[in-house]
Amino acid sequence: MIHFKKRKREGGEFSTASMADITFLLLLFFLVSTVIDVDTGIGLTLPEYIPPEEQELAPLSKDRLAALLINENGDVLLNGEIIAIPQIQDNLIERIKSKIDLPKNKKLVVSIKTDRKTNYNLYIQALDEVKSAYFKVREEYALNHWGKKVKDLSDDQIKELREKIPIIISIAEPEQIK
Amino acid sequence: MKFQKKRAATKQGIPTSSMPDIIFMLLLFFMVATTLREQEVYVSFTLPEAKAIEKIENKRLISYIYVGKNGRIQIDDAIVQLKDIQDIMYKKRVALPNVIVSLRIDKNTNMGLVTDIQQALRKADARRINYSARMKE
Repeated sequence: MIHFKKRKREGGEFSTASMADITFLLLLFFLVSTVIDVDTGIGLTLPEYIPPEEQELAPLSKDRLAALLINENGDVLLNGEIIAIPQIQDNLIERIKSKIDLPKNKKLVVSIKTDRKTNYNLYIQALDEVKSAYFKVREEYALNHWGKKVKDLSDDQIKELREKIPIIISIAEPEQIK
Repeated sequence: MKFQKKRAATKQGIPTSSMPDIIFMLLLFFMVATTLREQEVYVSFTLPEAKAIEKIENKRLISYIYVGKNGRIQIDDAIVQLKDIQDIMYKKRVALPNVIVSLRIDKNTNMGLVTDIQQALRKADARRINYSARMKE
């Protein structure tokens, strides 16, 4: 009879020294393959769709309206006068400020209208200026009333701020193509 | 007088046995923070730049519409026609009532196309939109 001899083994362990390296590799892989996609942009809420035959023209006093028209040549008109895009902001800031204490139905309405051939980039630049104007006025209001920046305000204060300085941007109804 | 250098009795050197754990932590952080791009983008576009931009808080609500340089429109995984946008977006809106539509539009697009898309979105009642833009330096 053959005698099997049991071989004695020393404690079965594997080295963990390279563990760190392996995890480093994994980490590097994720670091490299990650695209931290920042979703930034200009937010807007479109108006409700109302079929053309049911549309009613709501009268809007000239005093409330800031009409921006961007035509296909790249000219920007604010209330019928040609204006350079960087000037829109200063122009609007004054008008927004003068209406802070007015009731809700007297606030400024910014209407943006474009031609079909207008460049999208130009439209975004103009919209950006309008938004910047509102943000600056809000920032100033928050600083004067609460001594804080907008991002540090409490929920109630933000609510009040939104009521005082609402951002009303209206996208004009597109004209029918003839 | 002879000074003897005092030596600490403890062992010197940093224990490295917890190193993998630390790195695992880092790894887990990145794995959680990563959103792997689940859609292939078929159209090429350059976003416009703007200053007054906001971050979209809730990523799960976002639905993208891409418009490329050549005016092709992509929603989800497919190139779509302008007339189909309304139906597609309406279905999305029913599934997710407060959907935010992120418009990733090439900066040299004509406003006509953008307006058409906006009209389709209004008809589909998906009215919260976001013009995707990069930060201007």
